[in-house]
Amino acid sequence: MSATAPRAGEECAVSATAPRSGEDRTVSVTASRAGEDRAVSVTASRATARQAPGRGLGLLWHQIRYEQLSFWRNPQSAFFTFVFPVVIMSVFGGLFGGIGKSEFYYGRSALQYYVSTIAAVSVLGCCYSQLAIVLAARRENGVLKRVRATPLPASAYFVGLLAHCLLVSVVDVLLITAIGRLYGVPLPATAQWPALAVTLVLGAGAFCALGVAVASLIRNAEAAPSVVQLVLFPLVFVSGTYMPIHSAVLNGIAGALPVRPFNDALLGAFTTHGAGLPWRDLGVLLLWGAAGAVVAVRRFRWDPRPE
Amino acid sequence: MTGAVVVEGLHKRYGTVHAVRGLGFTVGYGEIFALLGRNGAGKTTVMEILEGFRARDSGRVDVLGLDPGEKATERTLRERIGLVLQDVAVEPYLTVRETVARNAGYYPAPRDTDEVIGLVGLAGLERKKVRALSGGQKRRLDLALGLIGNPGLLFLDEPTTGFDPNARRSSWQLVRDLRDAGTTVVLTTHHMEEAQELADRVAVVAAGRIVAEGTPATLGGRDTAHVRIRFALPPGTTVDDLPVPAAPGEDGLVTVESAEPTGTLHRLTGWALRRGAALTGLRVDRPSLEDVYLRLTTDDHGTPENRPERSAL
Repeated sequence: MSATAPRAGEECAVSATAPRSGEDRTVSVTASRAGEDRAVSVTASRATARQAPGRGLGLLWHQIRYEQLSFWRNPQSAFFTFVFPVVIMSVFGGLFGGIGKSEFYYGRSALQYYVSTIAAVSVLGCCYSQLAIVLAARRENGVLKRVRATPLPASAYFVGLLAHCLLVSVVDVLLITAIGRLYGVPLPATAQWPALAVTLVLGAGAFCALGVAVASLIRNAEAAPSVVQLVLFPLVFVSGTYMPIHSAVLNGIAGALPVRPFNDALLGAFTTHGAGLPWRDLGVLLLWGAAGAVVAVRRFRWDPRPE
Repeated sequence: MTGAVVVEGLHKRYGTVHAVRGLGFTVGYGEIFALLGRNGAGKTTVMEILEGFRARDSGRVDVLGLDPGEKATERTLRERIGLVLQDVAVEPYLTVRETVARNAGYYPAPRDTDEVIGLVGLAGLERKKVRALSGGQKRRLDLALGLIGNPGLLFLDEPTTGFDPNARRSSWQLVRDLRDAGTTVVLTTHHMEEAQELADRVAVVAAGRIVAEGTPATLGGRDTAHVRIRFALPPGTTVDDLPVPAAPGEDGLVTVESAEPTGTLHRLTGWALRRGAALTGLRVDRPSLEDVYLRLTTDDHGTPENRPERSAL
């Protein structure tokens, strides 16, 4: 066992219980392979194993960097995640710019309302839609299997994706906020920034988990975009993203689904002053995120042709 | 631990299909070992079990002293083996150099990125996007990803499919160089020439079992098999005039099979010289690796006399 440089914890256990056999094996491996190179590489990987925490963070950063690179180079993903929400927000700015505070928009101006819902839908696009489609495609063309063939831990791969999606979401929300500002929508109060950050992180996490879950349930990559949209389109509509909804029944249903709580939490963070955290909305999001994570962990496949 | 790869009594079923039936072989350290077999013979299943992608039903599998089905040592194993899979799978929007550098970051002691790009013959294309590469170039990039972790054991699943002859030759040389530097190589291939040129040992898989194993020169009794002597009959002669038994072939050539070709050739050429005739198109062949392979795999259930009995079900 110890000839094979396990990770830090295992190494100690093995050498403490069976030091002799460990030494013997190391010798036999070194001798039977053409020598010094191998001995050096065994030592090297042990040294690295001891620095595991630092290497883990480095690996994560490495992974995020290359996810970013792949993302920005892909015109399709950049288009859907940025151009779509930016265009919608600009158009809405022109259409609804004149509508002041009203009961229809829950006491906010139309653009105050849309800045938060379009910001929310941009996060959905990046974390849920794009992630599900990209993962399904990567599985189909074997990229995921290739990742699996490397020592990159699955956790690092997924945390890397999550961090990447969060970064893109932040850029999206900043863009939407900036466009809103151009149309005269005030920036969120400074006191609300922590609530905004918490909502954004939790929302991005929950929708990423749901995106991975959907990618796990989809069998073939060609169906991915339609399945993703089929789920998202009605959900976004009943959640009041493009038009406020004043039906108690619909709002009751939508309130238990993941999009409306995210919309509401963002709306609160964007437009109220020091109202604290919207615990109920965040709780619903967290539950959906956890459900998505359970499906993702149990059903996720790396191989395009499973047994 | 007696080899880089040890497989004993391996079984794998997919539903009712018994894909691998008590298969076993050993690959020594620093050896190039080739698995041959028709599509569906079970060799990809065996490779995927060795690579840790599939679980086995029973049997012993030992890869660099580790069990590829063991989760706890999975990462350690991945750090020591390199894989070139059958399907090309690379992110289209990264450049060649970025792709290799990204994977380099996954290993504790990788090889130098530029060195590996040079080794696989992609020097000069470092800044080219992967999507702009030709099929053969993508395949070489795949090979680079297999090598970047400086593996002690390299799995190559049909590594030179889609290569032009020059790229194939240089890849063979690369694999030989890796072997000479101590790397163990397990490969599958459909090209008998590749097995002949590259492998130290080959094993033929049919219906989930090894039906023959040996060096390319001795597989299936190649070295001791009858030699085939072929030539065109001189004008005005028939098969019955020849001093040795011969069979006429479809292409107008006659075939003489011989266990001791020196004497047989002497008699044939002596006969021809006495008559003042020539043996036009004279050829002396041993069965090629492909002949042996085809004989072993034509009936996919394996020819009984060649099937070494492995552990029973």
